[in-house]
Amino acid sequence: MNDQATMPDGIAVGRSIPKLENREKVLGEAQYIADLQRPGMLHAAILGSPYPHARIRGYDTAAALAAPGVVAVLTGDDVGEGRMGAFIKDEHALAKGKTLYVGEPVAAVAAETEAQARAACRLIEIDYEELPAVLSPEAGIAAGAPILHEKLADYLKVFDAGSSGNVASRTRFEEGDVDAAWADCDVIVEGEFTTQAQAHVAIEPCGALAEFEPGGRVTLWSANQSVFRVQANVCESLGLSMAKLRCLTPRVGGGFGNKMEAHVQPITVALALKCRRAVRLILSREEDFEIVRARHPFKIRMKTGASRDGSLVAREVEVLLDCGAFADDSPGVMGYSLLMSSGPYRIPHRRAQGRLVYTNKLRFGAFRGFGQPQMCFAGEQQIDEIATRLGIDPIALRRQNMIAPGDSWFLGQQVLSNGLAACLDAVENASGWKDRPHSTRQGRKRRALGVAATAHISGLLGTGATVRMLEDGSVVLNTGATDIGQGSDTVLTQICAEALKIPVEQVAIASPDTDGSPYNWGTTASRVTYTTGRAVVGAARDVEQKLKQHASEMLECAVGDLELRPGGRVGIVGVPQAEVPFAAISGRAHWAQGGPITGDHSLVFERMTHDPKRALAQGLPFPRIGVFSFGAVVVETETDEVTGKTRIVEAWSAADVGRAINPQLVEVQLEGAFVQGMGFALVEEMVWDGPRLANPSLMDYKVPGSRDTPYDIHSIIIEAPEPDGPFGAKGVGEIGINAVPAAIANALALTTGQRHRALPMTCERVLDAIMQSDTPA
Amino acid sequence: MEGRQDLTLTVNGQQRRVSVEGGETLLTVLRDQLALTGAKRGCNQGVCGSCTIAVDGWPVRGCLSLAAACEGREITTIEGAGADPAMGVLQRQFAERGAVQCGFCTPGMLISARRLIADTPQPGVEEVQAALSGNICRCTGYRKIVDAVLAAAAELAP
Amino acid sequence: MSGPRLLRPDSLAEALSLLAEPEARCLAGGATLVAMMNAGLVESRLLVALDGITALSGIIASPEGGLRIGAMTRHRETAADARLAGSLAMVRQAAGVIANPVVRNMGTMGGSIAFADPAADYPPALVAADAEIEIAHASGNRRLPAREFFLDWYTTALEPGEMVTAIHLPPPTPARSVYRKLARTSGDFAIASLALALDGESLRIAIGGCGPTPLRLDAAEAALAGRLEDPRAIAEAAALLVEASDPVDDVRGSADYRRRLIPRLLAAALADLREAREAA
Repeated sequence: MNDQATMPDGIAVGRSIPKLENREKVLGEAQYIADLQRPGMLHAAILGSPYPHARIRGYDTAAALAAPGVVAVLTGDDVGEGRMGAFIKDEHALAKGKTLYVGEPVAAVAAETEAQARAACRLIEIDYEELPAVLSPEAGIAAGAPILHEKLADYLKVFDAGSSGNVASRTRFEEGDVDAAWADCDVIVEGEFTTQAQAHVAIEPCGALAEFEPGGRVTLWSANQSVFRVQANVCESLGLSMAKLRCLTPRVGGGFGNKMEAHVQPITVALALKCRRAVRLILSREEDFEIVRARHPFKIRMKTGASRDGSLVAREVEVLLDCGAFADDSPGVMGYSLLMSSGPYRIPHRRAQGRLVYTNKLRFGAFRGFGQPQMCFAGEQQIDEIATRLGIDPIALRRQNMIAPGDSWFLGQQVLSNGLAACLDAVENASGWKDRPHSTRQGRKRRALGVAATAHISGLLGTGATVRMLEDGSVVLNTGATDIGQGSDTVLTQICAEALKIPVEQVAIASPDTDGSPYNWGTTASRVTYTTGRAVVGAARDVEQKLKQHASEMLECAVGDLELRPGGRVGIVGVPQAEVPFAAISGRAHWAQGGPITGDHSLVFERMTHDPKRALAQGLPFPRIGVFSFGAVVVETETDEVTGKTRIVEAWSAADVGRAINPQLVEVQLEGAFVQGMGFALVEEMVWDGPRLANPSLMDYKVPGSRDTPYDIHSIIIEAPEPDGPFGAKGVGEIGINAVPAAIANALALTTGQRHRALPMTCERVLDAIMQSDTPA
Repeated sequence: MEGRQDLTLTVNGQQRRVSVEGGETLLTVLRDQLALTGAKRGCNQGVCGSCTIAVDGWPVRGCLSLAAACEGREITTIEGAGADPAMGVLQRQFAERGAVQCGFCTPGMLISARRLIADTPQPGVEEVQAALSGNICRCTGYRKIVDAVLAAAAELAP
Repeated sequence: MSGPRLLRPDSLAEALSLLAEPEARCLAGGATLVAMMNAGLVESRLLVALDGITALSGIIASPEGGLRIGAMTRHRETAADARLAGSLAMVRQAAGVIANPVVRNMGTMGGSIAFADPAADYPPALVAADAEIEIAHASGNRRLPAREFFLDWYTTALEPGEMVTAIHLPPPTPARSVYRKLARTSGDFAIASLALALDGESLRIAIGGCGPTPLRLDAAEAALAGRLEDPRAIAEAAALLVEASDPVDDVRGSADYRRRLIPRLLAAALADLREAREAA
C-alpha cells in the first residue's frame, strides 16, 4: 500500500523494478565473501582474549607454528602502532600491549585449512597480567576506576571529544533556557529508561579475503558497507599507504551497521602480507556475536514539560552510554541520539547531554537507527504520558507540536521538506485510530493501539559518481557505494537512467573498487539514495552537457536549443526530426572529436547542523549531518495475560522519503525495519555473565521468525520532496525502525496500566506489570 | 585412526565423488568440494536456515547432516532445484516481488517454500509462515516473502 | 586430528554391538549431536548412524492396543499422525512445536529424549501420557516408565551401551489433552511448558522447563481430582507443583517467572479443556 498520488512515474524513477542482482541470488549464484576462492588460498582463524582487561606480557607461538598446515602466526608484535577509529583513533589491528574485552582478537593463524588454523590458535600461549575490569559505564566513571585507554589524550580525534579518564567523549546541546522553563510547565513527566544491547544478526557473518599480489599490493575483498572505510581502517591500523591496498566487494549478506567499520579486514591483510599469499578469514556466528560490534545499551534520564493546552515547553535529556572497549562510531551515536532527542517537535527549551564511557566489553557501534530506537523509546513515551495527563489524543498532541515546514531542527538546521503531518494522517486513518477503542479485552487476550513518530537524517560526508558513456551510447555508472542488499545499485541505476532518459538496461553499474570508484563514505546513515543519488544526478547532468555540446555541433544549433529525448537521443526542441542518438555522439567523441564522454560529480554534504546564534553545542561529532525524513508508526499489540507474551497483530508504518525511487524497495525497508525494531522491543537481548557474553548463539539469542511476525505490516509511502534530493528523494534505511519500540511501549502502557521503561519488554516484564496492576489494592 | 573415506553422493541428479571425514557436514562438502556455494553457513547450529537443502525431497539442514551418512540419498541444492518448473516459478516470484534483499537466506527459503507448495498447493498466509518458520530473514520482514510464495502457489494452481 | 568414523548398520544387533565400543555414540537425526560437534562440545571416536535400521522407524499399533513409536521416527511424522488423538493429542502437539519444519524433518523422538534437555517438548508430554521407554542393549531389552527415564539435567537412565529403541504409548482414550508451550519465539526451547490430559474427573499433568526433569506430582493430581472447577483446588495443586519445581534463571527467563507461570498455565489449560469438553 503506498501513496503515489502526487508523483507521476518516470522512465525509471517511481518504478518498482526488481533488483538487478535478484536473479543471481534466487539461482544461488551470488558470491559472498565465504564463497570466494583464490589460488593457493590459506584459511585463517582468530584467538580471542580470555580476559576482559589484561596486559599482554608475551607470546609463545612455537607450538602453533609447528602445528600441521600452519603457515603464519600473527600477534600484536607483528602489527604496527597505527590506530584506527571513525571518531577517536583508539584501535590497533590486533590487541597490542593489552586486551580490553573477552574475545578481543589477540592473535591469528593462517593455515591450509580452517580446522588447522583454529586448532593452532589453541596452541598459542600468551602471558597475561590480569587487570581489574570495568563492566559498566557507572563503574567506568567511578573514582579510582581502572583506566582502559591510558593514552587516550594522545589519540587523534576528529572532533572536540572532551575525552578524559574512561570518558571517551562528552556532548552537550542546549537551546533556550531549560532550567527556567520548568516553571512555565503545567505538566512535567520524568523518567529513567534503559535499553539493552542488540546484535545485528545479519545472516551472513563477517569475513574477509586478502590476496598478496606479486607486485606488493594487496587486494582485499570483504563483507562490508564501505570499501573506502575498509581501506582507511586497514591502512591506518597497519601503517600502509592507501595506494598499496585495493578494496573490493563481493555480494554482502546484510549489514545494518555491523560491517560499516572494520571487523577482520586488518588482521586478514596483515596475515596476507606475512604469508605473501591469499588468506581468507570467516567468522563463526559465535565470533560475529562476540567480537564485532552491537547496538549501544542506553541509560536515559528524560524530563519533558508542557503547558495545559498541550504545547511542549521543555525537554531535558541526559544519557550515559556504554562505549565498549573502543570508540568506533559511538561518539556519533551519542551525538546523533542527543540531536534527535527532542523528536520532530517544536520545543523552545531543550538540553541534551551525555557521556560515553569505555568499558571492557566489545565495542558498541553503528546499528540501524544509530541511537534513535533507544532515544525514541524514551521520548515518544513521554509524549504519550503528557497526552494522558492532559486528556489529549496522542496523535493530536503530536500534530499540535510537530515541526512545520520551514522550521528548524534542534541546533538550527532548517528542515526543507517535511511530510510528518501526512505520515501521522496516514497511520491515523489506516489504523482506524479515531474509530476504535485503543484498549480491549477478549478472553485472556488484551489488545491495544500505540503510536510513535520520528525523524531521521540522510546525508553525511562525501560521495562521488562518474558516468562514462561507452562507444555505443550505453553508460557505466560508478559510485563506490556498496549495495548490502537494500538495492542501492538498482536505485542509483534508476536515477541515472531517469536523468539521461534512457532505459535501465542501458546503464551498467560498476562494483565498488577503491582503485576505480569515486570515494563514497559508506552505506550507512540512510545516505546512499540521497547523497550518492545527488552525485549521480550531477554526473548525469555533466554527461548531458557534453552530449549537448557535441550535438550542437552536429546539428548546428545552440546548446540551449537542445533537449534530451527518451531512448537516448538529443534533439532540437520543437523539431522532432532534428536529433542524434547517443551512439552517434559517443562515436564522434571517441573517434573524431573531444574524447570519450565522462561525467562526474563529487560532493560533501554541506548544510550546517549547528547555528551558533541559536544553540550551544559542545562535542558535536558531525558538523553537517543531513536532510530529514519523517515517519510514524501505529501498532496493534495483543498480550496474553496468562504469560505476558505480546505479539503484534497489525502495524502501519508511514515514512516520508521525499520521492520513492523504487516503491517496492522502500516498502521492504519499512517492513524489515519494523521487524528488527519489534525484535529489539520484545525479545532480543545480549546478556553478559560478568565480562563474558552469555548468549552468543542463535540458540540463545532469538530474532523474529516468520511465525513471530505479523503478515499485516502496512508500509505507507509519503513523498515530501527534498529540494536537492535526486528527484526529491531522501533516505529510508532507518526511518522505519526508530519509532517501533516506543509505539509498542505506548500500546503496552494501556494493556498493563504501567509504563515500560526497560527494553526488551519481555513476556516476563509484561506479566510483572499485569500482575502489579491486577493486584487488588 | 584415519577417518577419511571416499564416497559417492548423488547431488542434483549427478553422482559426485567426494572425500569426507566422519564428522564433516554435508554443507562443508557441498561448498568446499563440489563448489556448490548456494547453501550458506550462517550459524552452523541449524538455527538460521541458510544451509537448508533437500535430501530425498525433504528440506534439511546441511550444517547438521553428516556427509558420510548421506550416501544413497538424493541431495538437491538450489543450484539443481531450478530444473523443477515449480521452483522456477518460485524463483521468479521471489525476484519480482521484493522477496530478495541481501539474498543470503534466499536459497534456503526457496527450498522450504518448494516443499510447502508440494505438500499444500493452495496455502494460506499462516501455512506459509509456518512452513518458513525455520528460515530466518533479517532484511525483508517476511511480508514480501510470504506474498511471493502465495503468488507462486496461485500461479501453479491447476 | 582426524574425525570420528561413521558407520551405518542396517540391523539393531549390529548397532548394539558397535555401541559397546568406547566413545561410540548414536547418531539419530543429528539435530543436536551434529550441532554440538560443530561447536566443538562433543568428540566421538565412532558414530553409529541409526537411519539405516528400518525397524527403528515408524508408528505402529502395538499388541496391547497402544502405539509404538520407533526411536528414529522423525518429529514430522509424529506431528502428522492422526492416531495420536484424545489422551495422546498432547504428544502430537508437542512434536509439532519442536523447532521448525526443517528440523522436524531431521530430529527423532529417540534422539530427543536421550538428550533429555529440560526445556524440550517430548519429555513432559510423554511423562503426562504415561509413556514407557523401550531400551535395548547387546545383552537384552528393558522398558521403563517415562517418569523413571528422565533423571536429571541432560541425564537419563540409559547405561553405557544402551540405546532407546521405541516409545510405547498406552491406548488413546477420548480424554482431552493439550501441550502448551511458552517460548520467546516460535521454535525456541520452552521457557515453561505444560502437558495436561483430562480424563473424566481426573487428570495427568506434567510441567517442562521448570526443573531438571519433567515435573509430575501425584499429590497435585490428587488435589484436583473431582474438583476441577474449584479455584482453591487449582491453587492448591499449583502450589504443590511450584513447591516441587526447581527452575533456574537463564536467558529465556528467570526462575521466579517460571514459578509464577505454573499456576497460570495450569489454570488456563484446565479452563480450556473443560470448555472444549462442554462444547463437544
